[in-house]
Amino acid sequence: MKRSLDQRIADVRRLLAAARTVFERRADLSPAIARSTGLTPEGVELGFDSLERDASEDQVRELVMAAGEAQGVHVILAPNVFVAPLRALALARAASERVTVRPSSREPILPRAIVDAAGDGAIAVVDDRDVSVLDCAEIHVYGRDATTEAVCRRARPEAVVRVHGPGIGVAFVSSSVDVEAAAEQIARDVVAFDQRGCLSPRIAFVEGPANRGERFGSALHGQLAWWEGRVPRGRLDPTELGQAASWRDAVAFAGRLWRGSAHAVGLAPSGAPLVLPPAGRHLHVSVVGSVEDLAAQMAPLVRFIVAVGADDPRALGEVVPKHARVSGLGWMQRPPLDGPVDRRSLWDAPVTSARALPCSG
Amino acid sequence: MIQSYESGGPMPERFESLATDLVRFQAATVPGYARLCALHGADPRSLRDPADAPAVPTEAFKLSRVFAFDEREAAAVFRTSGTTTGARGAHCLRDIGTYDAAAVAFGRAMLAVRLPPAVPVLVVGPSASDAPDSSLAHMCSLFVRVFGAAVADEDAYFVRAGAAAGRQASGRDAPALDLEALCARAAAIRSGGPVIVLGTSLALLHLVETVRRAELQLPRGSRVMQTGGFKGRAREVSAPELRRSVANCFSIDERAVIGEYGMTEISSQFWEATVADGQAQPGVYLEPPWARVVPVHPETLIPVASGDVGIARIEDLANVDSAWAVLTQDRVRRVGRGFELLGRTEGAPPRGCSIGLDDMLRGTS
Repeated sequence: MKRSLDQRIADVRRLLAAARTVFERRADLSPAIARSTGLTPEGVELGFDSLERDASEDQVRELVMAAGEAQGVHVILAPNVFVAPLRALALARAASERVTVRPSSREPILPRAIVDAAGDGAIAVVDDRDVSVLDCAEIHVYGRDATTEAVCRRARPEAVVRVHGPGIGVAFVSSSVDVEAAAEQIARDVVAFDQRGCLSPRIAFVEGPANRGERFGSALHGQLAWWEGRVPRGRLDPTELGQAASWRDAVAFAGRLWRGSAHAVGLAPSGAPLVLPPAGRHLHVSVVGSVEDLAAQMAPLVRFIVAVGADDPRALGEVVPKHARVSGLGWMQRPPLDGPVDRRSLWDAPVTSARALPCSG
Repeated sequence: MIQSYESGGPMPERFESLATDLVRFQAATVPGYARLCALHGADPRSLRDPADAPAVPTEAFKLSRVFAFDEREAAAVFRTSGTTTGARGAHCLRDIGTYDAAAVAFGRAMLAVRLPPAVPVLVVGPSASDAPDSSLAHMCSLFVRVFGAAVADEDAYFVRAGAAAGRQASGRDAPALDLEALCARAAAIRSGGPVIVLGTSLALLHLVETVRRAELQLPRGSRVMQTGGFKGRAREVSAPELRRSVANCFSIDERAVIGEYGMTEISSQFWEATVADGQAQPGVYLEPPWARVVPVHPETLIPVASGDVGIARIEDLANVDSAWAVLTQDRVRRVGRGFELLGRTEGAPPRGCSIGLDDMLRGTS
């Protein structure tokens, strides 16, 4: 029997209630999450701030409408942004009366806790499954290109695969805002999840003359040092540490580098192409003369940009990609629960009978 | 040094001595290198061992100028392939003569050794005039001129604009492999002496997958140079598998398929010695006396213990006017007199949905 809109909203709200329960007992879960994600205990506590625990009626309704409807959804989760399973489950449950979820082997704790707390017989946590034999109508897969491509290759031809691929966030500091205040706000967005989410800013565009970029870089360095004292960075793997070392040297060679014990801020020379720093509290600062310059600088990156943070989002106008989530600085990691985090496919790819729908969340 | 190597004479100067001179020269003339030395606490004036001087990461070539002269004086500018962010690295050379001398000297020793002069050289790639900012195309064209017989371009280069037709069609004006011309040329020279074929791993893999058996049979004693990886390609093959397939495709001995390792940011190349030395192990690359590959720890950048895997710090004395030491993300391990290439440092899980450098690079393919 087809569910009504109100029933679907109620199913999503049951998950939000479960999230509140999980949040209340987060102290029991945090040590295991810290071990599985590599975040420090303080980093896990900060990350829990981003776990959606409530949403307005309009937001939930929008999420339900965005989810569409399907006869059975199988969700394949990614690790690291450990609060992301809530939204993934909400989208799947809004779409279907029958949901199976395969947590990442690296971070199975939160999704299991949410499903247990929800007590919703329509949702089942499953171990690794061969997607080629799944009989569900949709597969929602989150993660890196290699993972999502493998699922697309193996899924049955009748199954629709909704791909939630990787992306980045960028921040824009306009000429009308105080750079020290902007740095304070952006630092929070950088620190959350040690930049491993697609909402995390990796590049900050600062409008104005070169010395404004210098002042922002210096201020952000100070803010990240302050955060390091309160929320120490988690562990980075050897590859990430190596990429960080190489990026730091490249920026120091080409421009200006501020390095802390567990972060770095690099200021690129004027007009230089963008070089994406690795995750792990590394931010690349690029000075732009105007919003038009920003558009030109962002152009090669547009399809990867999931989130834009800005002190005055309205001032950006048409410059921001339509699919990107736009928020104030300091709020990039806390988007409303109104649909997938990554909205690229909602704008860019028509929902047709195509097997693989890129980047729908 | 290069001339002494070619003549078999003693080296006129020690590597360390020349390297130290280059550290001082480049720190004095390349502001970014002076900053990098300062960041690492290396004072070029009091430097005792050039190994203590920092290497310039390849990313720096994308962000900034890495050369010690006015750009207008550049005799050649080689550029790296583009990335999603639009960043292309540029390596400017004030004097192409050093590059050419180094490439020919070591290429002759490793690739053209014991071959008669003026052999046919077939390039499964574009000519330097068709790809003027490609260091690989420059090197191949150089080998065509130096090792090859004088022939028209269409008998030497088989990737051309507008060549798409029939089996290899890939777009009207995009450079494409002219497979029919290549097969025809191979047939024309089949009864002659040995031949040199130069190609990238991707191009050779395409040949292996496309041509019918015996279409590209080469004369006895021929050699094939293969270089580069598989960036952007869904299917990768192992080095031994590619070697075997290429040898079968051209009907030559597997040891005659010779790997070359080079990059836009350096002026020297490294070669497998399977033809030059009957005992040489496939997969082990040798350095010329004027260049070294040092595996270093990716974070500390300190040389790893002998036999351990590190990322390649390439010290190249032929990079006189740019960066004498370049830091790559290629994983290497010292083996005997040379080193093994173990592929690029991959974006490592766990990374969640945050995009990695490799994902973005893949996005350009």
